[in-house]
Amino acid sequence: MKKKLIDKLSTAIFFICALVSILSVLLICIFLFAGGVPAMGKIGFFEFLFGQVWKPSDIPALYGIMPMIIGSLYVTAGAILIGVPIGILTAVFMSHFCQKGIHKFLKPLVDLLAGIPSIVYGFFGLMVLVPVIRDQFGGNGNSILTASILLGIMILPTVISISEAALRAVPDMYYEGALALGSTHERSVFSIVLPAAKSGVFASIVLGIGRAVGETMAVIMVAGNQARMPIDLLKGVRTLTANIVIEMGYAQGLHREALIATGVVLFVFILLLNISFHLLSNRKKVNG
Amino acid sequence: MKKHILAVILVVMVLLTGTLAGCNSTSNTNTNTNNSAFDNTKAISVITREEGSGARGAFIEIMGIEVKNPDGTKQDRTTTEAIVANTTDLVMSNVANGQYAIGYVSLGSVNDTVKTVKVDGIAVTEATIKDKSYKIWRPFIVATNGEATGIKKDFIDFILSKQGQDVAAANNTVKVVENGAEYKSKGLSGKLVVAGSSSVTPLMEKLKEAYVLLNPNVTVEVQMSDSSAGIAAAIDNPEILAMTSRKLKDGENLIPVEIALDGIAVIVNKANPIDNLSAESITKAFTGELKLWNEMK
Repeated sequence: MKKKLIDKLSTAIFFICALVSILSVLLICIFLFAGGVPAMGKIGFFEFLFGQVWKPSDIPALYGIMPMIIGSLYVTAGAILIGVPIGILTAVFMSHFCQKGIHKFLKPLVDLLAGIPSIVYGFFGLMVLVPVIRDQFGGNGNSILTASILLGIMILPTVISISEAALRAVPDMYYEGALALGSTHERSVFSIVLPAAKSGVFASIVLGIGRAVGETMAVIMVAGNQARMPIDLLKGVRTLTANIVIEMGYAQGLHREALIATGVVLFVFILLLNISFHLLSNRKKVNG
Repeated sequence: MKKHILAVILVVMVLLTGTLAGCNSTSNTNTNTNNSAFDNTKAISVITREEGSGARGAFIEIMGIEVKNPDGTKQDRTTTEAIVANTTDLVMSNVANGQYAIGYVSLGSVNDTVKTVKVDGIAVTEATIKDKSYKIWRPFIVATNGEATGIKKDFIDFILSKQGQDVAAANNTVKVVENGAEYKSKGLSGKLVVAGSSSVTPLMEKLKEAYVLLNPNVTVEVQMSDSSAGIAAAIDNPEILAMTSRKLKDGENLIPVEIALDGIAVIVNKANPIDNLSAESITKAFTGELKLWNEMK
């Protein structure tokens, strides 16, 4: 009798805990859309999304976030170009090429990379990457390239750990079968195991993109944050997240609402990414 | 096993930090001399604050970077190529690390990692701000929702008194009241919340300390956010005293009181040989009309 009561009680507690997270998501959605959508209406949906000039302090003010949308896409694409090949190859190395001793050393290091706060990454970028880019490539160092390199490093742990898990989840018989058919170790890994872990690897890339799109503090410190259409790899750029954080402090009235509306756009971005992540991981279940 | 490895990494890192910190103190002077090769044919890298910031608002207005048209429209002509830093500290580190950078920060925040330049031959000091010969300054303001009463009024009286203004002067800002009256405690008790600008906060903390010393039964809570948040809080809740580093905008129905003047210093990298710039060339650099350091006068 008593056991049943405890059972029921704990079920209720767990249910409430689950509700908390669901409620927070709902509340955030409501806040974002209630705060942002009216602003989009006031500014004009197309002027807001496709306007190329962001001048909130001018009279009349201009609120076009196209530069920030393109900026986010550029910086994320750059991060993917730099981070994904390194990440996947590291995962392949860690799962199939390195000795146990090295793995024991490498794994905690990668985990450590994930744990470094982003402001520290940003400080590292400002003190180390910016001067290097300025001296090697010209410009003032705060650029799309710098931000891409920094974000590329920041998404490494995500890409590495999820890809490695996916590679390790491939049944050994795939690899052994390939060996038995006469292919070399390298060939078995790259032509059989890696394609078999495809969906997990893609999932890691999508999560990496999510991290890159959402990253804020580190990017603000190295990207220059110019609110105009990106023109050059060595010139600065402002991302959606940076736009919100930079101006929220002093914004008021329609300016503030426009920043919340920027958040809505960002939210839709992340939503699309999460949906594609789920599609990918569902396919994995069907395949596996 | 994992724990052992983490421990080893930790030890290595601690050792590294120790040795690097040791190196740094001796090699600091070296890095500075390396920077001394200043090439004035290089492009100016303009560092500005974000739109809406109090410092930016004051700077662009005084320097004529902002253009007001007779029909009520206005444009901020700051070059779109300017790097946007969203805090004073970020402006400072951008200028300290960028050999060809120019930026502006509150006088109270300037330290020896950067170099301040004279504007039209006038250095930024308390004296030049006081006699208005140095042009670039802004007021620090507290704002009340309705007529100030009780502790709020007493605190504002204190700020404008001789003691309060001496605190302002000791914190690199300039008095608004010369020879203010002596403040005498009325022995009030209760609680006051002051909220708003991060630029005013350091000064407000010092004012609070001095005030609480004289009024031990009053607690003053200083909440640092930003000018707009402070103003919004005071509009919502008349108990709150807003502090702001920008002027009130239309629709913000509060009563402003200037408590101190803050100079805005134009700063460049320490390797930059320039000591003096004309206001005109500073304006042109910030609007992007002048692009190279050898065009600056």
